[in-house]
Amino acid sequence: MEKQSHLLLWKAVFVLIIIGLGFGIYAGSKSIDYTWRWERIPQYIINTEATTVRSPFDGTATIEKGNKLVVTSDYGDDPLVIKKFDNLLVSNGDLVFEGDPLVEVENWNIGPLTWGLVMTLQLSVVSLVFAVVIGLFAGLARISTNPALRYLSVTYIELIRGTPLLVQIFIFYFFIGTVLDLDRFTAGVAALSVFTGAYIAEIVRSGIQSISPGQMEAARSLGMNYVQAMVNVILPQAFKRTLPPMAGQFINLIKDSSLVSVISITDLTKAGREVVSSTFAPFEVWFAVALMYLVLTGALSWAIQRLEKRLSASD
Amino acid sequence: MTNMTDKSIIQARNIEKIYPNGCHALKNVSLDINRGEVVVIIGPSGSGKSTFLRTLNQLETISDGTIHIDEVSLTDRKTNINKVREEVGMVFQSFNLFPHKTALGNVALSPIKVKKKPRTVAEQEGRELLKKVGLAERMNNYPSHLSGGQQQRVAIARALAMHPKIMLFDEPTSALDPEMVGEVLDVMKSLASDGMTMVVVTHEMGFAREVADRVVFMEEGELVFEESPERFFSSDNPRLQRFLGQVL
Repeated sequence: MEKQSHLLLWKAVFVLIIIGLGFGIYAGSKSIDYTWRWERIPQYIINTEATTVRSPFDGTATIEKGNKLVVTSDYGDDPLVIKKFDNLLVSNGDLVFEGDPLVEVENWNIGPLTWGLVMTLQLSVVSLVFAVVIGLFAGLARISTNPALRYLSVTYIELIRGTPLLVQIFIFYFFIGTVLDLDRFTAGVAALSVFTGAYIAEIVRSGIQSISPGQMEAARSLGMNYVQAMVNVILPQAFKRTLPPMAGQFINLIKDSSLVSVISITDLTKAGREVVSSTFAPFEVWFAVALMYLVLTGALSWAIQRLEKRLSASD
Repeated sequence: MTNMTDKSIIQARNIEKIYPNGCHALKNVSLDINRGEVVVIIGPSGSGKSTFLRTLNQLETISDGTIHIDEVSLTDRKTNINKVREEVGMVFQSFNLFPHKTALGNVALSPIKVKKKPRTVAEQEGRELLKKVGLAERMNNYPSHLSGGQQQRVAIARALAMHPKIMLFDEPTSALDPEMVGEVLDVMKSLASDGMTMVVVTHEMGFAREVADRVVFMEEGELVFEESPERFFSSDNPRLQRFLGQVL
């Protein structure tokens, strides 16, 4: 019981600290000369502004039963039929002229920030797939007994880990992109997957080396060849063990993808910069952008935790 | 004499094993083992008995000498070692079960992947083998939910699933709590009475006395002495006497 109440106390301390921090940020935001305009942000995420449908020709509007608007043309064009709308702007029998507003339709348009989010997601997913493939083979080569494979892998890992991602993105876009005639997206994906692959290779290597050599011996003694033993015995176990560091690396990949905005890929970060220049509300935009990154990374880490739980059945 | 070699399923001749660090693990070891024979190898730790056993399925390579398993040379470059290993089952001191597979999954894995048996067939055979080692109730348990004795029996069933001609046992009871040694030895005894060719490295003198057709004593990488159990345990070989004095 004593221990229980202590735990409760410390949880209360945590909540107090969070509230204190929140208040600090709020007080800080009040003390500066800045007008907060949060209301400007949502339209850049989802645009719910109604669009107006205008008449394409001169004619007569009739409203038929079942709320259907039909505009008959004066010049024999095919009649315009609008079945779905939210606000009617004309009455039955009205004469309408070309360009007159007929109805308003409320539809949800995806705003630039959401487009950025989609681009970030695409970049991350495609890069992730390639990074895992590159990392797996580089990691296996790293522990190979063949010196050529081993040195190649070490060189790759050291080169990539020793240079900044930003510089690599420039090299991939301006040099390799020019030589191989790559578009922005391909260059961005290539840079991100080659970069992340080097880190995944090290995770794969340590994962495989953490499996006891007896596992490989047992598999080989049953007549499996090296590849069969790797695929059926070693890698499934290593996969489970490397999930936590892999999750960290995947989250890094999502965050690192923000750097490709320097080669003019309109990802979430670049979209944020564009929205700032049209709203003049930098604080709100960057907070919103951070939140959107958090949604992506949070969802990923939740999914991986679920997977870990499912794989722990054999523990 | 020619008859003798015809019957041998294992022929190990003049085996030398020198590790890269200079350690001389096996010195001119020769041993022939006949079909259906149970050979127990005993000796102090570091005597090379496990190393010798592991050379028989090439988990350990040899520096010199020849090994023939069922007339196939293991040192011949053209030999597919994976094919030989299908014929030679091995049971390890530390079980080495695959922790991500259930007991049945462990037993059925290799028949499915190596022998390309349909899953249903492999699992049916697996169930029968697990029943044979007394684990009918435990088929769907993961290794972490089995006792040491149960794990070792699964490991034996897993090796048997490949229908080997020879079974190698590398100190199969050394990692077990004393009360579980019996259940594993019982399985091994029934295997011996089924006529399986077995090579067993162990410290279980009772098993050697009771089940072995021949007992081999190794020390410092040399095969010192081999005899039938009755003669072996009544021998007055000084090196053997010294060792038996220590363990009994």
